[in-house]
Amino acid sequence: MITRLEVDGVPALCAPADGPMHAGLVFRVGTADETVPVRGITRLIEHLVADVPGSTGPEHTYFHTRGTPTEIAAFLSGVCTALRNPPAERIAAARQRMTSVRDRDPLPMWRYGARSHGVASYPEWALSGLTDDQVRDWITRWFTRANAALWVAGDDLPEGLALDLPDGVRQPAPTAVTVLPATPAWFAGSDGTAAWDTVVRRDAGAAVFATVLERRLQHELRDRAGVAETARTEYEPRADGTARILALAEAAAGRSDGTLGGLVDVLAALRAGRIDADEVGTVVKHTSEGLRDAECRGARLPGQAFNLLAGRAVQTLDEALAEVRAVTAEDVAAVAAAGYDAGLLMTPGTGGADWAGYTAAPTMSEAVLDGRTHRGRGDRNLRLISGAQGISVVEGDVVGTVRYDACAAVLAWPDGARQLIGEDAVMARVEPTLYRDAEQVVHDVDQWIPARLRIDMPPRDRDRIPQPRPAAEIPEAEVDSRRPLITLLIAGMATLFVVAGGLGVLTMMLTQGPTEAGLFGGLGEYGLVASASILFGIFAGRIAVDAAAELRRQQADRIDRNP
Amino acid sequence: MLPAMSTETDVVFDIAAAYPDMVPLRAALVARDWPGCRAVLDAAGPMERTGLLRLLGEEPGIEGFLRGVLSEDPTDGSASALLGLHLIHIGWEIRTGARAQYVSREQFRRFREWLCRAEQVLIDGAAFNPADPAIWTARLLSARGLGVGLAETRRRYDRMIAADADHLPGQIQLLQSLCPKWVGTWELLHEFAREAVAAAPPGGAHGVLVVDAHLEHGLEEIGPEQSVAHGLIVYLSQEAVRAEIYQAAQRSIGHPDFARGQGWIRALSGFAFCFTLLGDHRAAAAAFRQLNGLGTEYPWEWLGDPETEFRKARDWALGGAK
Repeated sequence: MITRLEVDGVPALCAPADGPMHAGLVFRVGTADETVPVRGITRLIEHLVADVPGSTGPEHTYFHTRGTPTEIAAFLSGVCTALRNPPAERIAAARQRMTSVRDRDPLPMWRYGARSHGVASYPEWALSGLTDDQVRDWITRWFTRANAALWVAGDDLPEGLALDLPDGVRQPAPTAVTVLPATPAWFAGSDGTAAWDTVVRRDAGAAVFATVLERRLQHELRDRAGVAETARTEYEPRADGTARILALAEAAAGRSDGTLGGLVDVLAALRAGRIDADEVGTVVKHTSEGLRDAECRGARLPGQAFNLLAGRAVQTLDEALAEVRAVTAEDVAAVAAAGYDAGLLMTPGTGGADWAGYTAAPTMSEAVLDGRTHRGRGDRNLRLISGAQGISVVEGDVVGTVRYDACAAVLAWPDGARQLIGEDAVMARVEPTLYRDAEQVVHDVDQWIPARLRIDMPPRDRDRIPQPRPAAEIPEAEVDSRRPLITLLIAGMATLFVVAGGLGVLTMMLTQGPTEAGLFGGLGEYGLVASASILFGIFAGRIAVDAAAELRRQQADRIDRNP
Repeated sequence: MLPAMSTETDVVFDIAAAYPDMVPLRAALVARDWPGCRAVLDAAGPMERTGLLRLLGEEPGIEGFLRGVLSEDPTDGSASALLGLHLIHIGWEIRTGARAQYVSREQFRRFREWLCRAEQVLIDGAAFNPADPAIWTARLLSARGLGVGLAETRRRYDRMIAADADHLPGQIQLLQSLCPKWVGTWELLHEFAREAVAAAPPGGAHGVLVVDAHLEHGLEEIGPEQSVAHGLIVYLSQEAVRAEIYQAAQRSIGHPDFARGQGWIRALSGFAFCFTLLGDHRAAAAAFRQLNGLGTEYPWEWLGDPETEFRKARDWALGGAK
């Protein structure tokens, strides 16, 4: 039985639970509230105010501990005291403690661009440059009494618990605006991982669907076809009344294409309503058991505290059980159909999913802005255009445009390179070495971009600064059968160079949990810059895709009878 | 044993002529009588049904009709398979069977467009009918045209086999995909052909898989100065190859249980071709007699005009048998 209480103006939920007492303090702030230029600030604060780190999610940040009532009271009161007086001298130490890498998921960026939920796909570039003032301002806005909730799994509130937080206002749910012009959509991820996500109405039917989908994927892809090593799904309820469902499948070695095909078919079968009532019954039964078990451990409390912050009703166990038990196969089929239509598929490798009826998510800009044109040095295909509205980078028919009024962030290197990231996640990179008189463009960008969008990057090694390609390396214009290979090779090398490790980072982001290894350091920020942008290396990615398609076409068409 | 045919008999390459069900089926489709089509299809065995659907898919102008059928009942597996096969057929007609250098970029674009349309019909068809071997056979064709990859091709094949073991129409498709020119290797190709023939019940047309595999391999081994016929003779005359062909024939067209089931003409035509090139009068004559005037363009088309080549070989075989 959950009791509603209040501690120092913070709404609280208390319920008895098995085992030692545990409790948590949650704030309605997460990565979806951040912007790219302050990406990581919430997690920095999380590490700054508690020795035992809590957890920062898309919409919530919480501090959680287990122990005696006295220990719990001391811990949570300590967090509040530190939030009221953030120990500025400890920022550097907190930063040190958080070097471990968190997995980043690229799908939100493709769906939302460089805003709201999409921000979570970006690296924490700003971390080293965040100032005391920024930290203080962020706490003032988000870590307040009005924006917090407490849960306690125990018979009573711990004695001596004081939540002395600054006053503030309750923050609404982040507004999620998609940048996908059409769904279902696809984008190319790294080889070896297929992923899919969707956003549907948040309810028990959606949660059951997520589990049904997981079971199907495991059965079809792993056990039956043997194309995937693992498959799992996640159900992430959101404060705005929607839920995100994510499915991930790790391909068995060399079987990425089968993993994609299997995923496509499983999604189609569920959309078609091929859902067995027994299967739903089994999932409902497991879910109900899970809920009962969670109730005993006090594990339903965090979710209910999140509900409080979202202005939603606190749900009793019986209510939750009733809601789950009421889910029918038809309900699950309805979620499957709605989810299918809103789906976003990450294909393993560049093959795409047009054949399965998915629309390619935009990988570049449609328009080239007006302005002064700077030609590429030694590469006539390359153009940089600087105008009053923004920057366009053009190579052949590949266009990256970032308008100043829709710019999410600018990365600035001491050598003059600037990377503009649009709110739609498309990037335009100004590399002064590659264009004629590009210093003028760097000046334009610095004039137009407000300081709050600028992220200062550490100096680059000399070999990280791109040089114009010698004319000899530029592929001949005429088409001969060797050309795709040559292009692929050059593009491939350029991919390694320009987007060093970018695709690898994506795989690891998806597959690895937090590690101690310091993945960021290992790959170099250059790779991270590229990995976090839709336009994966405007000078390389697209060419590689085209050349690969061309090769495949040539391979496939030597003799093809249709027996 | 059938009587020896006189050499004046016309060669009939219309496979439909060998399958009596095609006549009422085609008539029902032309009359846009779907229950009539279903009556014939539902009465056929799984392999025969796939074979009939494949042939029927070549009828022009049936897309709108079939989409109508599917909008009435999206779960109709026969309609899904037929529409899918029809759209694939249109795509391949645009692309043509020519070598790549004679196919324009625009032809490839439209080819892919039709195959994508087919695939989407078939994805839904498979969603509603996961155990329909005709749909999985069609998806093996689309898989090859779309270049979806070996693991996905295998996954589709496994689904088909789970629905109907030894489903020859789909096995012929996988065999094609296992050629190195698509997504396979010679090792994969021969291993598959051997295993499929060994697993199939004796007396089936499945022996043709070994013929297909060797002819595909033989074609690739033709030297720059060799004619197709000469190159194939050299390849087929290798002791191991020859032995495998005869072993497959024994289990297939030469088996007492060999009957006029799905693929029987293709099997006889393929073996007759091999025996002719190997100079085996007796075996070739037996195959031609069983064909009884019927034939397939495959594999005679590789030597020149299929009808001329077929007739020439038959005259040689039956004449020699006299």
